[in-house]
Amino acid sequence: MSKLRIRNLLNKNGLTLAALVIAYAVVGILVYTNHASRQMSNMLISISAYIVMAVSLNLVVGLLGELSLGHAGFMSVGLFSGCLLSIALSGGLPLALRLPLSMLVGGLVAAVFGFIIGLPALRLKGDYLAIVTLACGEIIKNLITNLKFTGGALGLNTGSIYSNTKDLLPFAFVLVLITVIVMMNLKSSRYGRAIMAIRDNRIAAESTGINVTYFKLIVFMIAAFFAGAAGCLYGHSFANVKPATFDYNMSIEILVIVVLGGMGSVRGSIIAAILLQMLPEVLRDFSDFRMLAYSVLLIAIMLLNASPRFAELKGRISLPNLFRFLTRKPSRKEASADE
Amino acid sequence: MTHFIQTLISSLSLGSIYALIALGYTMVYGIAKMLNFAHGDIIMVGAYTVIVAAFQLGMPPLVAALMSIVVCVLLGVLIERLAYKPLRQAPPLSVLITAIGVSYLLQNLALLLFGSEQKAFPTLITLPELHLGAVVIDGITLVTLAATAVIMVGLTLFINKTRVGKALRAVSEDKEAAELMGISTNKTITLTFAIGSALAAVASIFYGATYIYIKPTTGAMPGIKAFTAAVFGGIGSIPGAMLGGILLGMIEQFSKTYISTLWSDAIVFGVLVLILVVKPTGLLGRQIKEKV
Amino acid sequence: MKTTTKRFFTALAAGALLVGMTGCSTPAQDNQATAPQENASASGEKEVLIGGIGPLTGDYANYGTAARNGAQIAVDEINAAGGVNGMKLVLNYQDSAGDPDSAVAAYGKLIDQGMDVSLGGVLSGETASIVAAAKEDGLLVLTPSASADAAITGNDSAFRVCFTDSSQGTASANYIADNQLATEVAVFYQSDIDYSVGLYRAFEAQCQASNITIKEVQTFTKDTSTDFSTQINAIKDSGAKLVFIPIYAAEASTFLTQAAGKLPEGTVYFGCDGLDGILGKVSDVSVAENVMLLTPFAADDPAENVQSFVKAYKQANGDATPDQFAADGYDAIYAIKAAIEKSGVTDPSAADFNSKLVAAMPEITVDGVTGTMTWTAEGETVKDAKAMIIHDGAAVLYTK
Repeated sequence: MSKLRIRNLLNKNGLTLAALVIAYAVVGILVYTNHASRQMSNMLISISAYIVMAVSLNLVVGLLGELSLGHAGFMSVGLFSGCLLSIALSGGLPLALRLPLSMLVGGLVAAVFGFIIGLPALRLKGDYLAIVTLACGEIIKNLITNLKFTGGALGLNTGSIYSNTKDLLPFAFVLVLITVIVMMNLKSSRYGRAIMAIRDNRIAAESTGINVTYFKLIVFMIAAFFAGAAGCLYGHSFANVKPATFDYNMSIEILVIVVLGGMGSVRGSIIAAILLQMLPEVLRDFSDFRMLAYSVLLIAIMLLNASPRFAELKGRISLPNLFRFLTRKPSRKEASADE
Repeated sequence: MTHFIQTLISSLSLGSIYALIALGYTMVYGIAKMLNFAHGDIIMVGAYTVIVAAFQLGMPPLVAALMSIVVCVLLGVLIERLAYKPLRQAPPLSVLITAIGVSYLLQNLALLLFGSEQKAFPTLITLPELHLGAVVIDGITLVTLAATAVIMVGLTLFINKTRVGKALRAVSEDKEAAELMGISTNKTITLTFAIGSALAAVASIFYGATYIYIKPTTGAMPGIKAFTAAVFGGIGSIPGAMLGGILLGMIEQFSKTYISTLWSDAIVFGVLVLILVVKPTGLLGRQIKEKV
Repeated sequence: MKTTTKRFFTALAAGALLVGMTGCSTPAQDNQATAPQENASASGEKEVLIGGIGPLTGDYANYGTAARNGAQIAVDEINAAGGVNGMKLVLNYQDSAGDPDSAVAAYGKLIDQGMDVSLGGVLSGETASIVAAAKEDGLLVLTPSASADAAITGNDSAFRVCFTDSSQGTASANYIADNQLATEVAVFYQSDIDYSVGLYRAFEAQCQASNITIKEVQTFTKDTSTDFSTQINAIKDSGAKLVFIPIYAAEASTFLTQAAGKLPEGTVYFGCDGLDGILGKVSDVSVAENVMLLTPFAADDPAENVQSFVKAYKQANGDATPDQFAADGYDAIYAIKAAIEKSGVTDPSAADFNSKLVAAMPEITVDGVTGTMTWTAEGETVKDAKAMIIHDGAAVLYTK
C-alpha cells in the first residue's frame, strides 16, 4: 500500500512538485545573482500569489464543483488583516517572523469569512451560488472601502512593510509549496474523495453518511485561508493597496486560470497561472494592441482546447510519449524481423 | 411623498434598462445553457453605433436607432457563430471563459476605434418634461417605461402564442426531444442571440438617451447588474428577468435615497443574498428536483 | 489521454518558465545606478529615456492616455528645438491598466530597457508602489498626477507636478470662506477613489475651522456612476447654493448634465483640478454654467503658453481638449528638461547622472502650463492655483 502511494507520488504529484522546486530554484538563482530581468523578477511575487489563488479556488470549483466568483474578496480580507498586523509589528519583528505570522492571521481571518460565505453555499448551487459569492465579494469591497482603519478608498499604505522580490521570494516559494502539497494530499485522501462524491451526487453522498454541511464549509474555509495568506504576501509587494482592486473582475481572472488549467488539476492551475500572468507582459511590445491581442489569444486558447483534433495532437506530442520514443527498445516484432 | 414618487420613477427607469439587458441573459441561458458575459458589451456597441450613425454619417435619429439594432443583431449572431458554436459540446465554464474573452475583445476594439474619452450620445427626440404637482418626469423616462412595457408584453406573447416561440420553449425544455420533433437547435439558438442582442440595442438607446455619456467600458457595469437581476429573478425565466431587473433598480435607488449612498452597493448585494438564501432558485425560478 | 495532456502541459509550462526567465534576462547590472546599456541613437547622439506608466486600457484609460499625450507633445517640442544639453529625449509609456501589479512589472520592463528618468505612475496607488520599487535604483521619479498625500513618501528622489489632495481640499475651503462664496454648502464626491476622498476629507476638516456648514453629503461609486438623480434630489432639498464637487471631469459631466434644470439656477459648482477640460467633455456647455475651478491649469486660460499647448494637443489628438492629466504630463517633461539644464549633465550613462538630477530638482523654476513651479526637497510642488468660473461656455478668471 505505502509502496503504491510512493510510486504514485513519484509518477504524478511528485513530478509536479519536482518541476515546481526546480523552477523556483532556477528563478531564485537568476534573481539572487542579478541575472533576472527586472520585469520578470518584479512579477514573481504576484505570479506566486496567483498560483496560490488559482490552486485554492480549484478546490471549490474543481473538487467541490461549485462556481465561486468571490475569491478576490477572501484575498482582500486576508491582505488587509494580515498587512495591518504586519504594519503594527513592523517596528519589532524581523520580516522572517512577521510575514509568516501575518500570513497565518490573514489566512485565518479570511477563513472566518469563508465560513460565513460558505453558509449560503449549503442551500444554493450553480449560478445562484455564483451570484451570491460575487455579491459577497462586492460587499467585502464596499465594507473595506468605507472603513477608516483600512485606509478606506485611499488604500492602505503598506510602504512601511514593502519588501522587494529578493526578500519575499523564499516566503512565496514556501507558501506555494504548502498550498500545492495540501491540495494534492487532500485530493487523494478520504476527504478529497468525500468532497468529489458531493460534487458528483450530493444525495448519494449524503446517504452514504458523508456530512455534506461539514465538507462544504471546510472546503470554503480552506480555500479562503490560502487566498487570504496569498493576499497578505501580495500586499507586502506594494506600497499602497486599494480595496477596489479586488473586485469581481479579479475573481473572474482567477476563475479563467482555473478553467484553463483544468477542473481539479493542481498542476494545470499552476501552469495556467504562470502563463496567463506572463501573457500580458510578453505582449507589451504590441503597445496599444496589447489587451486586444490578449483577448484574441484567450478566445483562441479556449477554442483550441475544446477542439478534439487539438486534444489528439496534444496527446501525441506529450513528453512521456517523446521519452518513450527516444528510449524505446526494439519491440518483439522488430526483433523477430531481424532474425 | 414627492420624494417617494420621484425615486420610484427613477428606479423604474433604471430597472427597465436592467430588465431589457437581463432578458437577453436569461433567454440565452434558457436556450443555450450558457452565461453570455459579453452581453453587456453589446450595449456599448449599440450606443457607439448610434453615435457614429448620427454624428459621422449624419443619419436622422430614428434611422440611427434602427441601425444600432441591426448592427447589434448581426454582431450577436456573428459572435455566437464564431466563438460559442464550436464549444457546443464543451463544459459550460469553458464557454463562460470564452464569453469573457469576447467581452475583453469588444471593449478593447472600442478603445482602439473610439479612444478612451467619453463620447456624448446624440439627442434622438426632444420631449417636454411632465409636471405632476411637484413631481417632474423627463420625457425620455416616459418613453423608456412605455417602450419597456410594450416590449415585455410583446415578448411574452411571442414566446407563448407563436409557433417560433413554442419552438424556443421546446428547445429550452429538452434539446434532444425538440430536435426529434423537427426543431433545428442551431436555428433556435441563432434566433435567441438575435432577439437578445436586439433587446440589448434597445437598452443601449435608452441608456444613451438617459445617461448621455458612453465609454468603451460602459457596458460592463449594466451587464453585471443585469446578470445579477437575471439570476435574482430566476435564471432562464423570462418574467423572472423582468421582475429581477425592475426590483434591482428599485432596491438600488431606494437604498440610495433613504439609507446611504455610501453603503448602497453593499445594501443591494446584501438584499440579493438574503432573498436568494430564502428562495434558492431566484424569485420565479423553477425548483429543481434532485434525484440520485 | 487525460494524464498525457496534463504532462504535456507540465513540460510546456516548465519550458516556458525557464525560457521566459532566462530569455528575458539581461546581463548583470552590477552598478544599479547606471542601468542604461544603450544611450546613443544611430546617429551617435545621446538619448535620455523617459519612462512613464499609466492606465492606457481599461476603466481609467482616459487619464493615462491624456498624461502620455501631453508628455509626448513636450518631448516633440524639445527635440524639435534641438534637445537638451546635446541629448534627445525619448518617451516610452507603458500600460498599467490601473493595476499596481502590472505597473510594477512595467517599471521593471522600463528599467530593463535602460530608463534614465521615470515619470512614475499616473494614478496614486500605482505610483506609491513604483516609488517604493524605484528606491533601489536611485533615479529621478517625477509623477505628473499622483496626488494622494502618501504617494511619493519614502523615496527622496520622488517628486510630483500636481498638488496633493489634502492641500487642494484645504485651499478650496479657504477660498470659499475668504471670498464669502457661501456659508452653507453641499458636497458630492466619489467614495471609492483616493483623489475624491482625499479632497473631501481635507475640505471637511477645513470647513469646521472656517465656519462653513456642510448641509448635505452625497456620494457615488464607480459602479453607480450613471444615475445621480437621488443624490441630486437630496442636494436640492438641502437648499445649499454651492455644491463642492471634488471629482473628475468625466463623472462631473454626467452630474452636471443630470443636475441641469433640477438644481436651482445660480447654484455654484466648485471643483478642483479634476474638473479641467470639463467644457470639452460635456455634451452641452450650458450645463457647466457657474462651475468654478480652483486649479493650476485651465484649457481656456488665455496665457500664450497654455494656448499654444492646447492648440498642439488638439492637433495631435483629434481635437480632444487637454485636461489636467495632459497638462501635468506636459509640465513634467519641461521640469525634467529644466533639471537636466540646471545640473549640466550631458551623459545619461554617467555614474552621477541620477544624483545630479535629483539634487537639481529643488533648485529649478519651471514656467509651465500649470503655473510657475518650484519644488521642495520633499518632492512637493509650490505653485499658485487660479480660480476660474465658467460663463456662457467659456472659463474666465473669477473676480468678485
